[in-house]
Amino acid sequence: MKHLPSLLAGACALLALSAASTAFAAPTVTRLTPPSERFSTGEPEPVIARFLPGQRFDLQATIKPDAGQRITAARFVIDGKPVDATVALRDCATGCVKGVNAETAIATIRAVSLEKAGRHEFSVQATQSDGQKVAATGNFDVVPFAAAMGPKVRNIIILLGDGMGAAQRTAARIVKGGYAQGKVINPLAMDTFPATGMVKTASLNSVVTDSSPGMTSYVSGNKNNNNEEGVFPDDTIEPFDNPRIEYLSEYLHRTQGKALGIVTTADVFDATPAGNAVHTSNRGAGTGIVDQFFDDRSRTGLTVLLGGGRKWFLPAGTAGSERADGNDYAFSATDPHTSEIVKRWGAAPGAKDKGRDLIQEFQGAGYRYAPTKTALEAATAGAGADKLLGLFAFSNMNVALDKIDGRRGAKKGLAGGSVVDDYGFPDQPMLDEMAKAAIATLKKQQQGFVLMIEGASIDKQAHNMDSERWMLDTIEFDRAVQVAQDFARENGDTLVIVTADHECSGAALIGGSMLTDQALLDAATKKGSANLRDKVVGVYEKAGFPRYRIAADGYPEATDIDYRLLVGYGANADRYEDWRTNATPLRDSQQPMAKAEPLKWYPANAAERDDATGEFLVTGQVPGEQAVHTATDIPLSAFGPGALAFTGVIDNTDVFFKLAQAAVKGATAPADASGAKRPAKAVPAR
Amino acid sequence: MRDRKNRVPMCVQLTTGMRLARRAARSIAALCAAIVLPLAASGTHAESAPPDAASAAATDLKFSQFFKSPIGPAGLELSDALRAADGRPVRLVGYMVAQEQARPGRFWLTPRPVRMSEHADGEADDLPAATVTVLLDPAQQDRLVAHRNGLVTLTGTLSIGRFEDETGRVSWIRLQLPTNALSDSPDVNAQR
Repeated sequence: MKHLPSLLAGACALLALSAASTAFAAPTVTRLTPPSERFSTGEPEPVIARFLPGQRFDLQATIKPDAGQRITAARFVIDGKPVDATVALRDCATGCVKGVNAETAIATIRAVSLEKAGRHEFSVQATQSDGQKVAATGNFDVVPFAAAMGPKVRNIIILLGDGMGAAQRTAARIVKGGYAQGKVINPLAMDTFPATGMVKTASLNSVVTDSSPGMTSYVSGNKNNNNEEGVFPDDTIEPFDNPRIEYLSEYLHRTQGKALGIVTTADVFDATPAGNAVHTSNRGAGTGIVDQFFDDRSRTGLTVLLGGGRKWFLPAGTAGSERADGNDYAFSATDPHTSEIVKRWGAAPGAKDKGRDLIQEFQGAGYRYAPTKTALEAATAGAGADKLLGLFAFSNMNVALDKIDGRRGAKKGLAGGSVVDDYGFPDQPMLDEMAKAAIATLKKQQQGFVLMIEGASIDKQAHNMDSERWMLDTIEFDRAVQVAQDFARENGDTLVIVTADHECSGAALIGGSMLTDQALLDAATKKGSANLRDKVVGVYEKAGFPRYRIAADGYPEATDIDYRLLVGYGANADRYEDWRTNATPLRDSQQPMAKAEPLKWYPANAAERDDATGEFLVTGQVPGEQAVHTATDIPLSAFGPGALAFTGVIDNTDVFFKLAQAAVKGATAPADASGAKRPAKAVPAR
Repeated sequence: MRDRKNRVPMCVQLTTGMRLARRAARSIAALCAAIVLPLAASGTHAESAPPDAASAAATDLKFSQFFKSPIGPAGLELSDALRAADGRPVRLVGYMVAQEQARPGRFWLTPRPVRMSEHADGEADDLPAATVTVLLDPAQQDRLVAHRNGLVTLTGTLSIGRFEDETGRVSWIRLQLPTNALSDSPDVNAQR
């Protein structure tokens, strides 16, 4: 009984407190980074953010004060201990996204890391001007390295077929390898990898990822938002200030001195190549992205960069340059919000310098520049270059089908030449030739390398539902896989994975044509689904085994064959289908004559326009004009030491930890049985 | 995102009574007034220069004449023919780029058919270097031109040189169309 007065007093105090808190809303933490369910919902799992021991990342919190107040101080605590580093505190008077009011504060600590493995809790504790405090807690894991069963791998090669799902792989196999009575005659190189897993590809903010988080999950161990590369989301507009996550390239360059190679058939600023070395929340910030490739080369170890995208490297005054200050980056020398990126990450400060001649700067830094296939061959002849920059097109390189047509002298262009002539780049290398040049350059690196090779237009042509073009790009990609596999087989110390970032277009191999190509052309003139669907699409046994003849260059002699392979799309927009290789203008007998009459424009109800013209219209399930990425799992195959760790149904972020394990501690899985040589000599322990 | 709203001319939306986001309505109304008034004042097709007269004055220019090809190791070497056409009326025959996220008031014309997946690929695109940015008459900046397959012939005034638009996208060759380049009324059955 004697405790009653004190209990009552306590209850009164609590009531008073709760009354106060309803009368005066406390400041709130609206975002806590790294992202966690612990913060978002209070649930400790699933853990969203995971890091390697020592892998660096930024801490950030967005804190909304009460009206008329401001946040005066913030600190971060990990496992109960304050983080001993500068907290950059800024408000949102300018530069924040819509809906965030001016007094809102963003507190950041750059480049923290933990060695201790296991679950960690972290908090932000902030104080507003009237003395009220707020705290919020999140969690993350530091994933321990496991005891190794084999030596460390010296090199890692990631072959990424953008948008390459199971259907794209299978189509390439049918076209290139051929089937006889149900058996493959010549398997794809990627079919010979000993281990295969299924990869879950969701991004931080969608089950359907785009290429940015699709790539970065493999090389940062973390989920990013769509359109964002190597960063967690934030509340500012600036695309280069987001909380960063250290990439595999940066981690292995910093800890082991490994070099980085990036090879793509796309514009090199595109999401997949940039998602190995550049930190930005805007995958479209071309000038800043290519600048960061160069500026931070000493942090990423960038040694080889091959692809398209020359338009970003030319000074703004040069015709064809796309450089603009609006999509460049420059960190402040005084505002700690970004100056701490320079101080703690060691990143270059950048500058708004659209007039920069980046090709010349690469050359000045010792990179051999190759604008053509011929120059690329010269750069790797003899002792070869130590560093390599190749820019073979102004934006994306031409696709395999058009490059091969160019080499075969197929006159499908406008001015009597080929398509690559039309683009002004008749001497572009194939992806396997770029892979060879990259490996020849990188293999001189004493500490090994990380090489990412992307078959970019598998995705881009699947968006277009241009079946033959993505099939040939998948075949081109597989030839690069063969190059990597040959190198790995010879050296025995290289782990190779072949994967995709996501599937694109919901492609499905629905059967084979029941018509010869000539009959298909005739059916197209008769139009409509009765002719172009019912008389064409052979399902089940009527599909048979489409047989493409492969030329000496490794690609089909022709894609418009009799009884051809047919592709349907499950993530398609409306499209007209005639089953033939998307025509080049000169060859297309259906091509209307040039029209000089006034242009039509869309009325208000454009969505209701009727496009039916009596052709075979395949009604789409997605809006717009293009097919889209899908959430479907994609296959991943692995070769070399550590390959057998890549089995099961795994998250895309798991791949990062498996790669790092192999490079830092050694393979945890038994050596594969595919006949790879042992390393000539053991990789020295560091 | 694939936002169909992007495809709809905002001004026309308003005049046909379609709903707009409340926040934007006022500024759009002002914009539309600014556009519609001069249109009304100047009358319609009748007062524009007859297309034949405009075409007759125009020089035929080919994409293949734009610059030296193959493109060398760096940028483009603009041809004398292209430079001579700067500021002059020209006639171009090319393909309208099929855009996923087309923007009102402009489109691209290329020597070869190109489709774009802006949402997934942005400026990592397959546009040839000889792409021309076609601009509608300033009074038609809100109009979204319907894509059509096949070759189109366009006559307008060419301008050469670096130009950075409000989105930061840079163009080097632009074709400014006259008012009569658009038909008098939108076509519901516009060809894709």
